[in-house]
Amino acid sequence: MGGVGVFVCHCGENIGKSVDCVRVAEALRQHPGVSHAVDYKYMCSEPGQALMRQAIQEKGLDAVVVAACSPHMHEKTFRKAMAAAGMNPFLCEMANIREHCSWIHDDREEATQKAIALTTSTVERVRHNRALETIRIPIERRALVIGGGVAGIQAALDIAEAGYEVLLVERQPSIGGHMSALSETFPTLDCSQCILTPRMVEVAQHPKIRLLAYAEVEELSGYVGNFVATIRRKARSVIAERCNGCGACLERCPVKKIPNEFEQGMGKRSAIYVPFPQAVPNIPTIDREGCLRFKARARGSTKEPCGKCVEACGRDAIDFDQSDEIITEKIGAVVVATGYELYRIAQDQPPESPQLQGYGEYGYGEVPDVIDGLHFERLASASGPTGGKILRPSDGREPKTVAFLQCIGSRDPAKGMAYCSKICCMYVAKHATLYAHKVHDGQPVVFYMDVRAGGKGYEEFVRRTIVEDRAQYIRGRVSRLYRAGDKVRLHAFDTLSAEPVILDADMVVLATAVRPRSDARALAQRLQISTDENGFFREAHPKLRPVETNTAGVFLAGACQAPRDIPDSVAMASAVAGKVVGLFAKEMLEREPIVAMVQAQLCIGCFNCERACPYGAIEHVTLDDHGATREVARVNPGKCMGCGTCQAICRSKCVELEGYTDEQIFAAIMGL
Amino acid sequence: MKEIREVASALLSGGQVDWVLGYEEDAKGLVKPAFITDPAQAARLIFDPRCVHNLAVYLLPGRRHVRALGRGALVVKACDARAVAGLLREHQLQRDELVLIGVRCGGVRQDPGPDAVLNEESVAARCALCPERTPQRVDHLVGPELPPPPAGNRDLLREIAELEALTSEARFAFWSKHFSRCVRCHACRQVCPLCNCTRCIADKSQPQFIEAAPHLRGNLAWNITRALHLAGRCVGCGECERACPVDIPLALINAKLSHFMHECYAHEASEDPEQPSPIGDFRSDDDQEFIR
Amino acid sequence: MSQESHPTTPEGAPHPEPFQPKIVAFVCNWCTYAGADLAGTSRLKMAANTRLIRLPCTGRIDPLFITKAFEQGADGVIVSGCHPADCHYATGNLHARRRFAVYRELMAFLGIDLRRLVFSWVSASEGRKWADLVNETVRELNALGPRNAYPAVDREGDQ
Repeated sequence: MGGVGVFVCHCGENIGKSVDCVRVAEALRQHPGVSHAVDYKYMCSEPGQALMRQAIQEKGLDAVVVAACSPHMHEKTFRKAMAAAGMNPFLCEMANIREHCSWIHDDREEATQKAIALTTSTVERVRHNRALETIRIPIERRALVIGGGVAGIQAALDIAEAGYEVLLVERQPSIGGHMSALSETFPTLDCSQCILTPRMVEVAQHPKIRLLAYAEVEELSGYVGNFVATIRRKARSVIAERCNGCGACLERCPVKKIPNEFEQGMGKRSAIYVPFPQAVPNIPTIDREGCLRFKARARGSTKEPCGKCVEACGRDAIDFDQSDEIITEKIGAVVVATGYELYRIAQDQPPESPQLQGYGEYGYGEVPDVIDGLHFERLASASGPTGGKILRPSDGREPKTVAFLQCIGSRDPAKGMAYCSKICCMYVAKHATLYAHKVHDGQPVVFYMDVRAGGKGYEEFVRRTIVEDRAQYIRGRVSRLYRAGDKVRLHAFDTLSAEPVILDADMVVLATAVRPRSDARALAQRLQISTDENGFFREAHPKLRPVETNTAGVFLAGACQAPRDIPDSVAMASAVAGKVVGLFAKEMLEREPIVAMVQAQLCIGCFNCERACPYGAIEHVTLDDHGATREVARVNPGKCMGCGTCQAICRSKCVELEGYTDEQIFAAIMGL
Repeated sequence: MKEIREVASALLSGGQVDWVLGYEEDAKGLVKPAFITDPAQAARLIFDPRCVHNLAVYLLPGRRHVRALGRGALVVKACDARAVAGLLREHQLQRDELVLIGVRCGGVRQDPGPDAVLNEESVAARCALCPERTPQRVDHLVGPELPPPPAGNRDLLREIAELEALTSEARFAFWSKHFSRCVRCHACRQVCPLCNCTRCIADKSQPQFIEAAPHLRGNLAWNITRALHLAGRCVGCGECERACPVDIPLALINAKLSHFMHECYAHEASEDPEQPSPIGDFRSDDDQEFIR
Repeated sequence: MSQESHPTTPEGAPHPEPFQPKIVAFVCNWCTYAGADLAGTSRLKMAANTRLIRLPCTGRIDPLFITKAFEQGADGVIVSGCHPADCHYATGNLHARRRFAVYRELMAFLGIDLRRLVFSWVSASEGRKWADLVNETVRELNALGPRNAYPAVDREGDQ
């Protein structure tokens, strides 16, 4: 028989009290194209759904309208009922005559008229509904984790433990990230490397993890479940398979004075080097800008000087002719865990961040005894350049007064960073504590605006720093500092006592702002994700989707998304792993078929849709049009999220959003 | 004029192009587009205030017979060059497919002749709004620097202001009087270089958002849509108004929206094809005073 | 227009007048539709003149919908979606914002009374705002009367 079936629900008294449901059903029965219209007390109940199934079967209905509550409430219920009756679920629509009608109007006549209008409109609309099938996309069950810091390590381990392959790419010669450079971690004062290195080793040995250190992701193409990653494995000039990590080459290298990046430039390393003793993988790398032989080659010399490392190596593992290797891998999901960097107060800021300004008040980084948090970590670290002794960079003497300045760059719109860097209050308390423990007659002085200690055990930790470790906390900012003799003189203001403070400190540690990495924007472009107003990678929704991006299949973990401490980075990494494993656990990636489709013949290739699409779902394809080829748009159903912005932007409406086509909306308007 | 002929002749005899599209006059002194394929015929090409046509319209991909002629050169005034930039912006052309012969302009008439004099009575109203009379980004730039056009008797901005000073009822009466006369010939669409859809929304019948009959209801919907789809893209060449057989003052609507795009979004339909079109673009601080 | 209160008029809802405007509202699914649902769940009383049409996003709303609604006899049209930065699809409402601004400017120039065309941002938690908006719009249209713009059109067209 065909036609549209209409089911008007009383919802007990909820609808029935204000809307005359019998009359609504009657009116719809008269409407052209409606072959069945009834009212019932509770459509969502089992008997109600049975009514629907029965009518569908008996009358061979083409489509169904349920006039009841909000679709937000029961669209799924009724669509399931449709499927149970053997009909495509997208041939069912709901008319909202409860939340939008019976519950808000008291006049029965007006409410009934409105219910009739809404239901009629929905009937007209549903006549243009098409049977849509769930989109199924195959998934490559391999994850790419970019960044081998604590977040990347955690994510990689969790995904691998779930049984899936992981490719972990780290640009530095060793994994470990910033955490491997820390001395102790708050609030437990655990030795950072002691808790991290077992994880690092686990990553290296895990059968499901392929570790590519000293490598970078050059390109990512494709879409969720079907990415292709192009990775550059940079040349260490050491053959990894032969190297056994004996370290003889390091000892024999004559170039020993290169400032060690791991030690924040305070220690030295050789040209062939391992960044720190616990490096994973423990394979040396030759710094081509420091190595005598490579420098000779760069000058164009034919001589091959030095070569002491080759002599020292018992395994013939040095290869001066090794070159970068480009590999491609199929990937199903990407985890971005590239971490952060610290704001430097020098006058010259990174060119990609023109909004930053240096700190003239703090000498633009020219006073030698003014250092930042990462420098302090290396001083405090037992394996650091000073063997764990807190010593002044200028003369190597033990400082008796150390000033710690919080909020350097953070919370400062004038410097281009209005946000709070979250971790500094805690690490400053930690630094003050470590200093007090190491220098028994040392006086830590902390200049703060607030103390933000919200995590578990954090407030107690700061209390101990003040009460037990004699740290003096002064609420006020330092207005300027400069060298005075062999001290650093600080001018500040104690806002609680309303007194100016002049302090002659032996050393100053600045808690500088946590910033996104200077190449974050470039990486974001390569991965087709966005950055926020501060340059951190942007999450899909700040409250409800904090680990996803707007690009399906690309996730975020750790400080690359916002300043974050170790417990939260680890938690976020495990959350991301959950998302990835959830994706991989499906046989096929299923997506709602509410996606847009381009009629290629009509598309003129202006690509305004591409500019408007928030998900990068518009692709270019070549169309053969009467012998002439031209580029037209195509929507990738794996990426389209169904917003319809493309259709509103398209002048000729040659792209239509399934489920919300022009025909459907037109019919809905005409049917009112 | 001489320069155009020289350039055209050289391009054709040198084999750089297969055709040159410029202006010529007919026996009655009316200027019309001229397709020149023989270098000897380049002498037909002229340029004076009667050269009102926007020849960029011949470049639309749908004009396959023009494409079939091979690689071409186009004589363009500044407004025409901006239309070419609009087509480049929307990937309708490759820049290396054509040679642009830019001509410095001092304003054109409302009609293509036979009179060639440019004065306050004959000058096209749109010329007063021209932001830049020297075509940019062309391959050859010819013609003398000319003084700005005389202030015409018809002042578009004043007319717009006068309309805006009326009540909305009076304004609607004005426009419905004009739109009732629209016969839906779509000449405005055919002559516009930026009306380039393969299937115009006005021709879409499933569903038919824009009624096709020449009735005020559908005419309003068509004219609203035409104006909206050109917002930020219209170069103000005035050809639509000139082509309209029932003299609907389309230039007022186009100028009004161009002005609005400039005021509100700092946008002009410029000669730079890299500059993005304003619709499909947004800024976080776009005006939203009107949104409750 | 008389402002006497009618005994059965729910608080906040406009007074029943002889002329009841027909209002079509184009709303986005994630914010305003949900906000209207909340108004319902909270039993906020509203005038019964609006008919909502659900779209996934204001980004999907084409000015042609609004034009067609007016053609079909709407006395007023409300277009509402998520606040900027809250769009479920990240940027749909930001594209829509420009489009609406241009459309509105054009409609004003052509002589459509802008009091009949209402734009708003109503989030899923703003049930009260939605109710107030509907009631306010109906009140304004009560005073404005039936659509001035199109009866002239229809009378002529239907001859």
